[in-house]
Amino acid sequence: MENPIYISLSRQTALQRQMEMVANNIANMNTTAYKNQRMLFQEYVDRPAIGEKISLVQDYNTTRELREGPIQATNNPLDVALQGDGYFTVETMSGPRYTRAGHFRLNNDSELVDGNGLPVMGENDLRLQIPQNARTIDIKGDGTIIADNVQVGRIKVVRFEREQFMKETAGGLYVTDEQPLDAPDTKMAQGMLEQSNVQPVLEMTSMIEIMRQYQSNQKMMEAEHERQRTAISKLGRVSQA
Amino acid sequence: MRSLSIGATGMLAQQLNVETISNNIANATTTGFKRQRAEFQDLLYQNMRRVGSTSSDAGTVVPSGVQVGAGVRPSAVYRINEQGSVNPTENPLDIAIKGNGYFQIQLPSGETAYTRSGNFMVNAQGEVVTGNGYAVQPNIVVPAEAVDVTINASGEVLVKLQGQVTPANVGQIQLANFANPAGLEAVGDNLLMETPASGNPITANPGQPGFGSIMQYALENSNVNIVSEITNLITAQRAYEMNSKVIRSTDEMMQTVNQLR
Repeated sequence: MENPIYISLSRQTALQRQMEMVANNIANMNTTAYKNQRMLFQEYVDRPAIGEKISLVQDYNTTRELREGPIQATNNPLDVALQGDGYFTVETMSGPRYTRAGHFRLNNDSELVDGNGLPVMGENDLRLQIPQNARTIDIKGDGTIIADNVQVGRIKVVRFEREQFMKETAGGLYVTDEQPLDAPDTKMAQGMLEQSNVQPVLEMTSMIEIMRQYQSNQKMMEAEHERQRTAISKLGRVSQA
Repeated sequence: MRSLSIGATGMLAQQLNVETISNNIANATTTGFKRQRAEFQDLLYQNMRRVGSTSSDAGTVVPSGVQVGAGVRPSAVYRINEQGSVNPTENPLDIAIKGNGYFQIQLPSGETAYTRSGNFMVNAQGEVVTGNGYAVQPNIVVPAEAVDVTINASGEVLVKLQGQVTPANVGQIQLANFANPAGLEAVGDNLLMETPASGNPITANPGQPGFGSIMQYALENSNVNIVSEITNLITAQRAYEMNSKVIRSTDEMMQTVNQLR
């Protein structure tokens, strides 16, 4: 008897989570290398009684749009944008993490670190140390770092077979169990940063859509509520007569 | 409804962005000022359905789970140490650094501060000081009877005295450099302080490998590009508005719930 309410409820719960996702996309529209997220829904069929079948909705998947974000010039010599698919590798206490946010700087040991202070890995998983007195730091398209005309190392770029399997952790970092592959075709651009690929207009429209769908579900629940109330009062009257 | 707080993190982040941009614009004509940029990061993610978990007895794996983020946070406001353009002036003690390095300034507290702003003056004792009267390190004293002061590219201060043919060397301007100049802490008055993140100062004469050279009769302008700051300001303001729309929509959704009888 209450099944219509539960069907609406399943939709509303899913919509609430979708709203949270859209809110997160909009909040991160200026976050370096942030990837827009989408939610996928599926039908979930339940059989509460024999011969009865109700179809609920379930949000079963979030996917990242892997499209490259626009490149913005910052003119900071240690800002590096990736062109093409691929990730930088950073070293953490709990193993390698991958990121596309190339906002690098030097730590007090003159090592190249990312925005969180995690060391950026070069080839052969070596940290990249820049000579302390380097006057100029050039980062070539293939990631070779040249400080005062001396090559000091190469920033490692890796790619993955199944990028959607990568899990977001905070701070623009991703984690995966997959083995990294070489990414020879990915180029680096110095003095640039990859912006987020969130398209604010689309997010605003989907936000309006979510809100209206939420309201129409509410209407349905109200109608169902009304139906139940009418049924109870009418049935009650028949029994009295 | 987490989208309320997610929208709030977005508004806070954009507020910081606008503050950074307005400080850049306010300092567009400040000597030796380096523009700043606010950098953002996504906050923690909550796993609703974990990626890689098995979805059946047969061992099939969920290709990507449901992960909902918790918003955004500012990760850094960093200085972009790009060389500013150099403006010619008429003052012999206006000096600009072309390349890396900072002038060392002795604060009244005894600490050393660092600056790119080279608009120096002479105090009553003939010492070369900043506009606030703080002495440049190492100390340079220009004699009162000097007719002309020349500062060459390698930082030697030469004064021509009345009746003398060869100019006398009265001091040497030294520059300090850091492994990570972006890690210096700004304390106002164009001054920067050493921090554990910046590393220790390495001092040398101007023109040495890794250090810039000195230009007399010149001042380094700020490296703020007004046009790009204004466009950034527009983006930041619109982003702020959109985040406030998120909060309003969430509010309306909650209002809808409250109308349920």
